[in-house]
Amino acid sequence: MRFAPSAKLAAVALTAALALTACGGSSSNTSASSGGAVDGAGKTLNVLTGVNNQYPEEQKKWQSDIAAKFKAKTGAEVKFETFASANDELTRIQTSVVSGQGPDVYTLGTTFTPTAYATKAFVTLSDDDWKKVGGKDRFNPAALGISGPDSEHQAGIPFVSRPFVMAYNKDLLAAAGIEKPATTWDELAEQAKKMTNAGAGTYGLATGYKDNFDPWKFIWAMSVQAGNPLVDGDKLKMDDPTVKKAYETYFGWLTKDKVVDPAAIGWSNSNAVAAFASGKAGYLMMTTSSSIPTLDKSAIAGKYAYSLMPTTAPGESSPKGDGDKAASILSGDNVVVADYSQQKDLAFAYVELITSKDEQLNYQKIFGELPANAEALASLTDPKLQPIADAAGKSKATPFTGAWGDIQLGLLNVTVQSIPDLAKGTVDESALESRLKDAQSKGQASLDRAAKS
Amino acid sequence: MSTDSFREMKSVSGPAAHGQLARSGPTEPALDAGASPTAGTGTLQPTGGGRKPVRRKGLSERNRPLWMLIPGGILMFIIIVVPLFLGIYMSALNLDQYSLRKWVSAPFIGVENFVEALTDSPLLHSVWLSVSYSLIAMVITLPLGIAAAVATQNAFKGRALVRSIFLIPYVLPSFVVATVWRTMFQPDGVVNSALGVFGVDGGLWLNGPQTYWTLILVQIWASWPFIYLLALSGLQSVDHEVHEASALDGALWWNKLRYVIFPYLKGPLSLAFLIGMLHHINNFTLPFVLFGVPAPSDVEVLPILTYVTSFQSFRFGLSAAMAFVSLVLIAIPLFIYLRAVKLDDAETPGGKK
Repeated sequence: MRFAPSAKLAAVALTAALALTACGGSSSNTSASSGGAVDGAGKTLNVLTGVNNQYPEEQKKWQSDIAAKFKAKTGAEVKFETFASANDELTRIQTSVVSGQGPDVYTLGTTFTPTAYATKAFVTLSDDDWKKVGGKDRFNPAALGISGPDSEHQAGIPFVSRPFVMAYNKDLLAAAGIEKPATTWDELAEQAKKMTNAGAGTYGLATGYKDNFDPWKFIWAMSVQAGNPLVDGDKLKMDDPTVKKAYETYFGWLTKDKVVDPAAIGWSNSNAVAAFASGKAGYLMMTTSSSIPTLDKSAIAGKYAYSLMPTTAPGESSPKGDGDKAASILSGDNVVVADYSQQKDLAFAYVELITSKDEQLNYQKIFGELPANAEALASLTDPKLQPIADAAGKSKATPFTGAWGDIQLGLLNVTVQSIPDLAKGTVDESALESRLKDAQSKGQASLDRAAKS
Repeated sequence: MSTDSFREMKSVSGPAAHGQLARSGPTEPALDAGASPTAGTGTLQPTGGGRKPVRRKGLSERNRPLWMLIPGGILMFIIIVVPLFLGIYMSALNLDQYSLRKWVSAPFIGVENFVEALTDSPLLHSVWLSVSYSLIAMVITLPLGIAAAVATQNAFKGRALVRSIFLIPYVLPSFVVATVWRTMFQPDGVVNSALGVFGVDGGLWLNGPQTYWTLILVQIWASWPFIYLLALSGLQSVDHEVHEASALDGALWWNKLRYVIFPYLKGPLSLAFLIGMLHHINNFTLPFVLFGVPAPSDVEVLPILTYVTSFQSFRFGLSAAMAFVSLVLIAIPLFIYLRAVKLDDAETPGGKK
């Protein structure tokens, strides 16, 4: 009668322990690099990557194509493994980290990179290593922002960018006499009010308050734009007035401005996309290029466009600090090479292949994800993609600390616990303050632990 | 060789005979390892005089093939006992994402995790939520299950169909149940629309204080067929003569049910109560899929709390301590309950004739 998760963890630890004894202390001896081509004949490289639910067939085809190209280049096989969910990925990483064996190359989401870095189980690239993957300057500089704690210590190699933007319904904006999309959060709320017609079921903004990620991204963006980076050294600044203001603005769309469908308290991002796709919303907040396939098949195909989200904090007239560079969190996928890998050069050769200009453009064509390769990014010409590519350059990394997972959870939790108040129509100020205080103390404790290790 | 002399042999040559038995039985080859090659000759020794057993074993205790416990025992050891002790060991380590890589050498911090779990975490609140929700759900499902079992006991047209329908919630995977209910419980979902017809404002089902009752409701829906099944099996163990006898004595239906039939159900239902409670307390999928993570604080039940601590905050040591504390907290009432209903005592007639 142990509880499932802990039992599972214990089981993982046990398997790991068994694996440890089985392959006791195999030291890592990297095959000598010959500078140029890597000879991988007879070897197999294991790559762990997320399953692409939107394009599963295409993903399989891409994998076999890449494997063929890699074989032609190095003579080595590539074996792909996929994980179905973030949870799967985490379990897999934990097992590998503890046992010191598993895939050679991992694909990680950007916000998970700091946590992965904290485990010290992945290679921090040396100058030499960077050369092996084609040089640091082949990548979009902004995309490197969350590869490591500083530019000297980077483990994550950018693979794709998935910056967040907003989409807008051209017809609805025009009907309300709005010439161009808002660039400040205050302006956004004003425009949204003009487009809202609750009687007809049309609202200015579509966003999901029950989403597992969106809420903290809004709060992070508005706080950073007001000059508060949330994490300042080893201090958490979640009890700062800027954070409270951010929550009030975010909640205010629903309670004060009434520009969001009241049902949005139960929505996740996909519900918001659906509402926007049916033409019932002026703006779709916090979306990525992956919404293109859905929107192009919807009632508003050809009637929408993307734009940068506002970069001026609520109540301000111009961005503060790094604000104008914080149009989106730095989002996308990084690849990391496992420290225990016996064939690191081969792994770097693989990374070099998939981050080359041609492969990145090919990937963009199939999956719609923006290239992390600077040259490839610059060569995109589709006007619809332009604002998104622009956002990729104006993305700012979330604080690089192993405590970020906890902080993110705390930011999200404030929203989760406020939803009943949102449903009632007002979020009590003192309740919000006490939730923030709680999140602050928990997040600070987590930061303290990160500082100690 | 008669069975008698064989039994004598067993008492004399102990482990060797064990090896012999194991070899002839359908067990794991690993068991043979212990038996020496000469064991065979040992077992053949005549045992004429033989030692007298110190205590005369009861009839039902004789010839018990206890060795058959070994395969299960080994599995149990590997799958449950070892992880349990690993878990206890982990609870004394400061094991988090920073020390995971070399977890064996993670700093040993003794009871600090336990202190933190008990004083500075929502653990006790979670235990209270878990136990109370399980109990409420159980107390409501019991009469539901019994009533359904009694109603479908006697044959009627379409009984097979009704019985199959009753089992649907039990057969559906938890994940599916939770997903369907989550869709229905949306603020503008079917449930609220249906309530709206009667002028009732359903409110929020998936956030806020009402979530506690949402969880209970869905749990009841998903788990009452289990009670029904066990109650049904209890009812079927009632002999036909018993029905006849009580009919001859002129017992009316309620008296017959209360004094004749229910005593038969005590055993199966005690068991159902126990298994059901544990199942509710351990249920992770239902709250996780219904409410997501972070869960509203009104449904932050134990499995969710341990999950978040382990896999969102990466405090593996703390989470192991939490799991252990809750194990102890739940084991105590469980133990008392077990003694009270004497499920572990074969001499007491439960569902026995």
